Order: sequence, then C-alpha cells, then structure tokens
Amino acid sequence: MNRKRALISDTFKVNKRRVGNEKQFGAVNIGEAGPLDVKATLQDLMTLFPRKLFNDALPQIVLKHQLYSIHNDRTQVDRQLSDLREQGELLMFQLGFDAEAFGLVFAADYKAKVLAGEEGRGTRGTVDKFLEKVLPSCKDLSFNKEKMLKEFLFTDSEITQLVKSGVLTVRDAGSWWLSIPNSGRFTKYLIQGRKAVLGMVKKSKYNEVLKAELEERQTNSQVKFQIKYHIHDIIGAELVECIPTTSGTVLRCVDY
Amino acid sequence: MLGFLTARQAGLDDPLRLRRAESTRRVLNLELNHDRDVDRIHNNGINTIDIEVIEGRYMLSGGADGVIVVYDLENNSRKPQYTCKAVCTVGRSSQYVHRFSVETVQWYPHDTGMFVSSSFDKTMKVWDTETLKPAEVFQFEGNVYCHHMSPIARKHSLIAVGTKDQKVQLCDLKSGSRIQVLQGHRGEVLSVRWSPRYEHILATASTDSRVLVWDVRRASGSLFSLDQHNGDKSKASSEAVNTAHNGRVNGLCFTVDGLYLLTTGTDDRMRLWNSANGKNTLVNYGKVSNESRKGLKITVSRSCSPEFVFVPCGSSVAVYTLHTGELVTMLRGHYNNVDCCQFHPDYQELYSGGKDCNILAWVPVVRPPDVEEEGTAAKGGSQATVNPAFEDAWSSDED
Repeated sequence: MNRKRALISDTFKVNKRRVGNEKQFGAVNIGEAGPLDVKATLQDLMTLFPRKLFNDALPQIVLKHQLYSIHNDRTQVDRQLSDLREQGELLMFQLGFDAEAFGLVFAADYKAKVLAGEEGRGTRGTVDKFLEKVLPSCKDLSFNKEKMLKEFLFTDSEITQLVKSGVLTVRDAGSWWLSIPNSGRFTKYLIQGRKAVLGMVKKSKYNEVLKAELEERQTNSQVKFQIKYHIHDIIGAELVECIPTTSGTVLRCVDY
Repeated sequence: MLGFLTARQAGLDDPLRLRRAESTRRVLNLELNHDRDVDRIHNNGINTIDIEVIEGRYMLSGGADGVIVVYDLENNSRKPQYTCKAVCTVGRSSQYVHRFSVETVQWYPHDTGMFVSSSFDKTMKVWDTETLKPAEVFQFEGNVYCHHMSPIARKHSLIAVGTKDQKVQLCDLKSGSRIQVLQGHRGEVLSVRWSPRYEHILATASTDSRVLVWDVRRASGSLFSLDQHNGDKSKASSEAVNTAHNGRVNGLCFTVDGLYLLTTGTDDRMRLWNSANGKNTLVNYGKVSNESRKGLKITVSRSCSPEFVFVPCGSSVAVYTLHTGELVTMLRGHYNNVDCCQFHPDYQELYSGGKDCNILAWVPVVRPPDVEEEGTAAKGGSQATVNPAFEDAWSSDED
C-alpha cells in the first residue's frame, strides 16, 4: 500500500504540550471525535431521535453501534458504556432484529415514559414495583423464570401483567427480554429507513456518496427518522465503508 | 531513534526497549517490495505456509493441488534483488504425494529433518525432508482440516488432529499410533492449537461455534469452553449461550507468550481471550470479514510493542493492534482471496499465500538515506552541505 507518510508508533512521537487547545469555538459537529466522552455523545445523538413521530410515548433511543461511527476506539466506547450501565444511568436493550443491535436509553427517561404510559391502567402497580426493585439491582438484558420468582418474588400473574404492559418481551419458554413498551413501531421504521438509505447509496454512480451530500438529500416517505440518525446507524453497523477523501468522507457500499 | 540508541549505549535503557521500538517501526512499515519474490511453483491456491522456528530459513507451503514446496528464505546473493528459491518439491509426479488439497503443513518443531502435512485425502503424512518420502502415514475417516504439534513439548510428541469427525485425535509420533481421542465438540473441528506456554494445554475450534480448551493429561472432558458473553446469559438468545462466536469458529492463534488466545469466526468477529480463565477480554475489532468454510490461518507479531495480529480478510491482509482493536492498515497485493499468513519473527517480515497461487513477501521499508549524506559522499569532502543560495556559482576555479 503506498503511503505518503509512514505509520509511526507512539514511542517515536514526541508529545508536545499544546497550551490553550482545549477550548473549541462554536458548535462542535457530532461528526468530529473529541476526547472520548461517551455520555456527551449519547446526549448529542439523542437529539436526533424523532420524539414527535411517536407522540412522545417512547423515550429517546440510540443504537450502540451509532457510537462506533463517531469514536474510533470501539473497545474504549464499550468500556465506558459498561461503566455507565453499572452506575445505573444507562439501560441497554436487545432490540430483536439483529443479534448485535443494542438500544441505549437513559434510565431516568425510560422510567418517566413507562410510568407515563401506564397512567390509569391496572398494571401500573406491578410495573412500578418492577422498576423500583429490579432495574436498580439487576443489570441484565433478560430475565428467566427462577430469577423472577425467587429473587424478586414476582408471581406468575404479575409476570403476565409485565408482559402485557410491554416492559418484558418473550424470549423463549421461561425467559424474557427487558424491552421498551411500544417499541415495535420504532424497530419497523428503523429497518425501513435503513433499507431506504442504503438503497440511496447503492443507486449512486459507483455505489458511493459523499457523506455531506447524503445528509442534504431529500428523503422519501419510507424514511421517517432524520437521515443523520440512519447515517450513523449504517456507518456503525459497517454496512458501508467510510473512506476519507479530499472532499470529505465518502460512504461506499460494501458488497460481499 | 537516536535517542534510543544513545540511551542504550549509556545503559540508561533496557536493551529490550530499543529492540522493541525498532521491531514495531519495522512492522508498521511493511510493504510489498520489488526486490523480494518467492518462486512460483504452485498451480493452484496455497492453503498453508509454515516457517521453521530454529533458523527461520526454510519455509514450507502446501497447496490445493496436494503439492508441498520447501523454500529457502535466506539471501546469500549479496544483491538486494532476491527470489526465494524452491529447494525441493513434493510434486504431482511423486508417488507419495497427497491426492487432494493439503490443508496444513508444519515443520517438526525441533529440527528441519521432518515435517508433517495433512490433507483432504483423509491422511496425515510425516515426511523425511531429505528423501521426501513419508516415514509415517496416519489414516482418518474424514477430511483432515488441521493438525498441530506442540512447539515446546519435551515430555510428549503428540500431534493434535482436527477432522470432519467431532472427535479430536491425538497421534503419537514416537509410537506411530493414535493414542487419545478428545470428545466434546458437536461439529467438525476446524482448527487446533497447542499453547506455547504449557505443553499440555490444547485449544480446539469447531463448526458448532464453540472453542474448547483441554488439558491432555485429564481423562474427563475439556477444561472449559470459551463463552463470548463471559457467562452473562442474558445477552444472547438461548441457543447461543456458551458459544465463542455466532457462527463457525475457523481461526485460532495463541499470542507468543501464550497468555492470550485469538479466535475468528464466520460471524465476522475476532475475539481476544485470556487463556488462563477463558474470559473474553471484550476487545472490539469491528467487522473482520470472514467467509472461509475451512480453517483460516491468522498470525501474531512477536517482540513488538504493541503486538499486532495479521488476519487474511478477503483479498488483503488486515493488521490490527492486539489489545486495543484498532485497524492499523490493510496490506493489499493479492489478486484473489488470501488463505494464510505467517510472520517471520527475526526479520519482521510477513509471508502470505492465497488463491492466486502467489506467496507474497511483505518486507519492512528501509529508511531512505538522507540527501545530505549522498552529497558529501559525492564530493568526498567533510564539509556540511551548503545551501544552494550561498553556493559559489560564478567564480572560476583558478582563483
């Protein structure tokens, strides 16, 4: 591979202290990587989530791999995410359509939306109990029967109520995934939009598009979310290759 | 660089530090070189290459046509232009040649008088290098995907063999018989590897998505199975519990110190495991594309800091930093899929072979000589180079 500048390992780099480089003027674009602060990036990405589309019934969801499109060091991102989960600030959900697609929601957001959704319903008490007892202590993505019955002392009928309210989804006989109520539409729109945006990249000449140009494009009715949301999604899931060029980043379709 | 040399000279630095820094610099500079070539003998894809550990001089390669070739890697010609010549070949004309493709070759770890090859014709042959005749032939019931001899073994001379059968066979070189069978996998065994740290520890990878670690002295089953979620049963769907990958596991490699184990699978992931307790270190390499139905040969660098792992990825070789998962570079040069790669630890070179019948040598780029030195060498004087603006271009020499 011809390189203009050779790769240099860290031992040979001289670390010059740069004074006064910390302040950045103006708004920092989400696309740039600053020092690795996953929480700030999450908050930025959450602003891309369309709340009005679901009539404010869903908490803001970000996919874990969208973070990979912003920060280069995936291992560090994973570590910071697991720290946030340990502290109880962040919740992770298995979204179901892909073994590796995980949704991230801030815990406070999640609790607020679920309780708001449960207003006036009979299952409210059980859901309340679930949120109070289980969420702070157990950081898993799924629960099985013995755990629910023995550790948390839920009865069978209470478990049925939880499934009915959408907080748990069936995984297989005797175990359940933690889930977001009414998230079915979210998954549907996400898959639809992802396909449409990928189609846009595929239809372009040479199967590649400048990222800046794609962001400006008109989206058809299939794409319900903001196109930036989908772009982070397809880059992070490695469905397109990100190639740096002199006119900006180019997204090229990966055909295998 | 000069800083390192001075520190080493003065004794301020450990000798190893200079060596590590230079090895790392060389690995980062790997490139295809016009001057280095490997003789083209194979007419079909190359499945496996192995460089002997004693001198690092001879390289074995096994091809899809059953041909095995021995190359001499050393450059004795005093010229930078060098083609690694084939010293001897077990070609199609030999009566002992394998009938189908050779999947794995390995030199005997203690000298180059012997090598072992295993092939899809359901046999494993132990060859005498001098006469190129098999000293021993082991027959199996299914295609042999891989075999490995422990590089450090003193107390045993076992070859672990992975075949289409679910059982891992252990063959003894001394007695010529199949001593032991390790039961535990539920699918074909695609890759086996002995630990370079303990001579009794063996790791095996299979199409049932699991990697099992064995102590061959134990009669009862495996020591443990590598679990990608580290026992966190909630992350996976219930079928995927206790699996190393979400697909077939086809590449296995221990790091040189034997403390970590790398596995690659057809779910396009590569994982790094702590080999002592089997925990997933959760280093995220991203998508490591992997479509191989048989084993994939990955390799790790040696005495560099940070260590690098070389993975054949489609028609190029991807280089990742071992512990951070960063993609350093992609080495492009093959015309077709790359099947195997091997790192030469002494010269920090990488040899890779693939379906395009070529073995490519990736050689570290030499530092270009400084322009100043060329100038003084031509003038023959000891002056420092003069800035062209101050050069005397008008006065005549007779002055």
